[in-house]
Amino acid sequence: MKKVLEVKNITKIYKIYKNNFDRLKEVFTKKNYHKEFISNKNISFDLYEAETLGIIGVNGAGKSTILKMIAGVVVPSSGEILRHGRVTALLELGTGFNDQMNGYDNIYLNGTLIGMTNKEIDSKIEDIMAFSELGDYIYEPIMTYSSGMSMRLAFSIAIFSEPQILIVDEALAVGDAHFAAKCTKALRERKERNMSIIYVSHDLNSLKLLCDRVILLNHGEVTQMGEPEDVINSYNFLIAKLNDSEEKITIKNTDTNSFGTFDVEVVNAEILGSNSNSNVISAGENAILKLELHSNIGIEHLNIGILIRDKFGQDIFGTTTKNMGLEYKLHKDTKYQISFKFTLNIGAGKYSISTALAIGENHLDTCLHWLDNAAGFEVAGNYATEFIGLSKLYPTLSDLEIIDDK
Amino acid sequence: MKHNILLAFSFAKRDFKERYVGTGLGQLWYILSPIITIFIYTVIFSDFMKMKLNIIDNSYAYSIYLVPGLLAWTAFSTILMRLSTSFLEKANLIKKINVPMYTFQLSIVITEFFLFLLSIALGIIFLYLVKQPVTLTFLWMIPVMILQTIFVFGLGVILSLFTPFFKDLKEAVPIVVQLWFWMTPVIYMKEMLATKYPMLLVINPFYYFVEIYQDIFVFSKAPSLYSLAVITIMAFVTLAVAGLLYKKMIGTIKDII
Repeated sequence: MKKVLEVKNITKIYKIYKNNFDRLKEVFTKKNYHKEFISNKNISFDLYEAETLGIIGVNGAGKSTILKMIAGVVVPSSGEILRHGRVTALLELGTGFNDQMNGYDNIYLNGTLIGMTNKEIDSKIEDIMAFSELGDYIYEPIMTYSSGMSMRLAFSIAIFSEPQILIVDEALAVGDAHFAAKCTKALRERKERNMSIIYVSHDLNSLKLLCDRVILLNHGEVTQMGEPEDVINSYNFLIAKLNDSEEKITIKNTDTNSFGTFDVEVVNAEILGSNSNSNVISAGENAILKLELHSNIGIEHLNIGILIRDKFGQDIFGTTTKNMGLEYKLHKDTKYQISFKFTLNIGAGKYSISTALAIGENHLDTCLHWLDNAAGFEVAGNYATEFIGLSKLYPTLSDLEIIDDK
Repeated sequence: MKHNILLAFSFAKRDFKERYVGTGLGQLWYILSPIITIFIYTVIFSDFMKMKLNIIDNSYAYSIYLVPGLLAWTAFSTILMRLSTSFLEKANLIKKINVPMYTFQLSIVITEFFLFLLSIALGIIFLYLVKQPVTLTFLWMIPVMILQTIFVFGLGVILSLFTPFFKDLKEAVPIVVQLWFWMTPVIYMKEMLATKYPMLLVINPFYYFVEIYQDIFVFSKAPSLYSLAVITIMAFVTLAVAGLLYKKMIGTIKDII
């Protein structure tokens, strides 16, 4: 396959000075006046024709800097970037628009800035206006546009400039679902015509859908590069580690969303995907929900319940151990641990888990401890067959038969 | 490189077309402002105040002396001031789009050079109206104007490279430009300086240009080889220095704007 971009040992060091005069002195002398901040360290990768490359990393990992260097607006401290073909970048909203001018004129302004000739724009302006769906707003000044509208215009120009490499930095996040879907479709079409894409997003689902390869950046270095599934799992692990240090103690503190006699308490709850090893789990992946209990009194017939809710607070799935025919006997002042293992056949999104400890049928009888938001998780990406919706069913198919109506 | 220069021309064209969009008189403003300048200095100085210069036999002699210097200075100072703040103005753009800064700077210079040509053409029409001879010698204006523009392009770029480091320059440049104007014999005659501060005429680079314009307008006198050599060397040395500094500093500037 043909290489369209070669990034060779790129390092970007931002120099921090006490004042601009020191900075200027250093341009002309050999003396050192600065402290260093390393934004990117020794990054190398190639991008091939028709490939979509994702870049992920936590905030401050150096994603934007590397994109800016590829786009050519920031000069690397050392290393080399070879571009074979036109590079168009959607770095931030309203890239290079003149606020005073209307949308139509801005198509020409922006188009020439990203390297199109006037003739090229003449032939594509109809398509650009149609794709942006701005209607008569195209003749209004850009300053009257919403952020979504200027993003739509910027994206439309970028995609019709037919670049060899398109850099998309979270720009799609601003549009509504309809436009996002349209962009995704347009990107796929261009990809079939050999366009390469570099895509940065925190939306793990779209990364898994669009990318052929993903790079994980951490502290300015490439820590992993490869299949989206694997890299995103490592990323989730990284995030989970970050969260761990902050969120371990939350259960104790959340008085508001727990109630009951507290004779037995849930002291910790944690859900992990068996592959991802974090709380970002693919649909169809096996997951383990671990609960830690502490009993203040001895008790018989303890019923343990769990409830998964989506971000709207809608119940997705709930069950109790009693439903499964099990009740437990607990001794006084003892710590217990129990795991629920299940296959997470639910759709993409963010979920929370509530837990309940009760004696009897459910928590309405004798509630020992009801705890909302004991743990949270996100379903992103998918194992095996694709699906849409909230739940993953496994239909089997019959043969396709001819109906004989006679 | 070639693409970027072409781009500068297309920006200049657009700038020129769009500057007066929305105004009632539209592109008429381009000729209106030099006409008004010429009108003020003719009517006020020659007709009302009866300022007379006895160097040539024309009742508008003082205006004829004034016009080329004023128009040349307007072009010179406009380019210098627009260039000196160009980085700060275009910061938003060059942080996001990979178009070299010199493209924008070149487009400013192209637009202003065109306006300079236009105003000088109007000045020559004025000469015709006041019956001052217009001869073939006036063709010397063109190369000298080009050299002036190259010189101020270099000077403006050098200034613009330092403004991101010292924001004070943005405030200081207009003041210095004003001082510079009054130190150049445009409104008054060079003799007034030559007796008291002759050095001021030697070290003022802009005077080498103005003197040529004034000699052409007033006496139809072609520039001497010496003065042509001086302005040519000044123009290209400044441009070369600007190019070198630009190359050296542009990376750092991109980090701080």
